[in-house]
Amino acid sequence: MMELFLLAGRQLRRKKLRVFLIVLGIAIGVAAVIGVTALGEGIRVQAVEQIKASHDLTTVEVSAGAEAGNVTLITESKIKAIKQEENVLFVAPYVKDSYVTQNNTYLAVKGVTPEYRGIHSNLQLEQGNWFDESTHSNYTQIVLGYDVAKRLAVTEDLGVGDEFGAKIRLYGEEGPPRDKSTVVKIVGILESAGDEHDNQVFVGITEAMEMDEKDAYDGLLVKVDDPAFVASVREKIEEIGLNAQSAQDVIDEVNRLMVAVTLVLGFFSGISLVVGALMVVNTMIISVYERTREIGLSKALGASDLDIMKMFLAECLIIGVMGGILGDLLGIGFSVMIDLVGKPFLVSTLGGELGASLQAGSITAITPSILAVGFAISLVLSIVSGLYPARRAARLSPLDALRQI
Amino acid sequence: MTVETKGLTKYYWMGKEKVVALDGVDLKIEEGEFISIVGPSGSGKSTLLNILGCLDSPTKGKVFLDGAQVDYRNKRSLVILRRKFLGFVFQTFNLIPALNAVENVEYPMYFNKPLKSKSERKEKAMKLLALVGLEKRANHLPSELSGGELQRVAIARAFANGPKLILADEPTGNLDSVTGRSILDLLTRLNNEEKMTIIMVTHDFESAKRMGTVIRILDGRIQEQER
Ligand SMILES: Nc1ncnc2c1ncn2[C@@H]1O[C@H](COP(=O)(O)OP(=O)(O)OP(=O)(O)O)[C@@H](O)[C@H]1O
Ligand SMILES: [Mg+2]
Repeated sequence: MMELFLLAGRQLRRKKLRVFLIVLGIAIGVAAVIGVTALGEGIRVQAVEQIKASHDLTTVEVSAGAEAGNVTLITESKIKAIKQEENVLFVAPYVKDSYVTQNNTYLAVKGVTPEYRGIHSNLQLEQGNWFDESTHSNYTQIVLGYDVAKRLAVTEDLGVGDEFGAKIRLYGEEGPPRDKSTVVKIVGILESAGDEHDNQVFVGITEAMEMDEKDAYDGLLVKVDDPAFVASVREKIEEIGLNAQSAQDVIDEVNRLMVAVTLVLGFFSGISLVVGALMVVNTMIISVYERTREIGLSKALGASDLDIMKMFLAECLIIGVMGGILGDLLGIGFSVMIDLVGKPFLVSTLGGELGASLQAGSITAITPSILAVGFAISLVLSIVSGLYPARRAARLSPLDALRQI
Repeated sequence: MTVETKGLTKYYWMGKEKVVALDGVDLKIEEGEFISIVGPSGSGKSTLLNILGCLDSPTKGKVFLDGAQVDYRNKRSLVILRRKFLGFVFQTFNLIPALNAVENVEYPMYFNKPLKSKSERKEKAMKLLALVGLEKRANHLPSELSGGELQRVAIARAFANGPKLILADEPTGNLDSVTGRSILDLLTRLNNEEKMTIIMVTHDFESAKRMGTVIRILDGRIQEQER
């Protein structure tokens, strides 16, 4: 086996320039694929990092399940079941209601537990206190999100400590919605959370459920002890018929998209590889012509068709290995170049937050598997391109081949 | 190896015109014989040799090597015959330019699987080079050797897999007469020492007569077989 390659190496050394040109041709094609793939991978990694930085990766968001027309509600028993799952630290159920003030200002209300605030650590008080559910009063204590507070201050001149009448709208199983009157008191106002919570009004969950007469929760946050177990916890939740989502879904989505984009781009940049392949075919066919006598001789000396085929394929394999190594090296150089030249350009065109986030890291990412694929492409390409010429060589009749001048 | 042919016939078709290269050749060659085939150009000498050497197939007739009929349709068996039992020497030497002398001698061993290790092969190749008196040229490339030396390397190569029949088509055809004689002497010596059958095509009738049986061929037919 070793000798087969020594022999092939000898043959290749007799046509150094030609071999160098093919190897270079293949390597450039491989490098183009590697560069494009590394760019796609780099952007994917950056996007995922960004999602990880802005999302809580240990929380599963649960909502009522609806499968084949069957609605599964988040009931107390379901919550108990979820709590007992392994790796679940705690759960934070919530309900959603809508209140209307006397001036017809609509308020989106969320009934929450202290655990909910534990998960959403960006909910911080600016003024006042959180509601105290232990003390029972004849009004409902509410905490306003940053934007709601501003709105109510301007339109209705309300602030911490103020009481006002509101109507809660109840949607029964059937019939038109019913309105129920109540008195609420603003006990606190939140700092800007920077997300949808700024438009929310918060109530204690027990009170909220008394008011809205619901016997199931509208949603549930499940805190898992480690991001690695989020998927399994999620599966368990889905098994009991509920709908579960996590930041991993967003990450998966980004991954799917970027992989698809990278594959398409990689495929088209791979078209340059066709040129390399044709060069191999051409050179090997010429080589078969040049060595026709040698092939005839080898057959006279006892070589089988397979032996001849192997000899030519060994040469292709060596070309493939060299093309793979050089292609990987050029590919690394290519992606470094993309980083140097392409990054400033991307940062300035994208601008803003996205641009700034790119600034930090590298926009290309070379992974061992990208290099391995690049190497494999070169190898497979040169072998496949060598198949036809090698077959042609193997099929020569020994006598005809020997007669050739 | 004994060689026997029965009614060996070979036609070539040039368009619609039939060229009779061999016309019912009956031969019987004993083990260890040194046969010279002589005859005018175009009489069918090379054709006969190529068919005996399993490089070409007959149109009609049978060939028996060591009493076993050669099946020319079975490619695999032809490969095995060439690999293990036959050795070729050509008029134009046909050494592989990329390989040096000893590597050229090793080359056929490469196709013969039983000789596994590289060192084993090299040792045997060196022995064969010594046999033809060229051990000092082992590392020379063909481009660095004279015609006579090239043919000696080629003969050593023909012996590489320990053949039982050597086929040589005008091995001295490209050499001057003195060098040619030395090659014939070498073949005679090897025939005596190694005891394999040799069939050689030559134009040197005088030398041929001294070496053993001469077969004279004309228009694809055996004229006479003299010992
Ligand atoms: N491939 C071929 N196609 C057609 N005719 C052929 C072919 N090979 C040989 N012949 C013909 O067969 C006949 C015998 O040829 P062969 O080569 O056996 O002659 P030879 O005795 O070896 O001649 P020389 O001494 O010149 O080498 C010749 O008439 C030749 O033209
Ligand atoms: Mg001839």
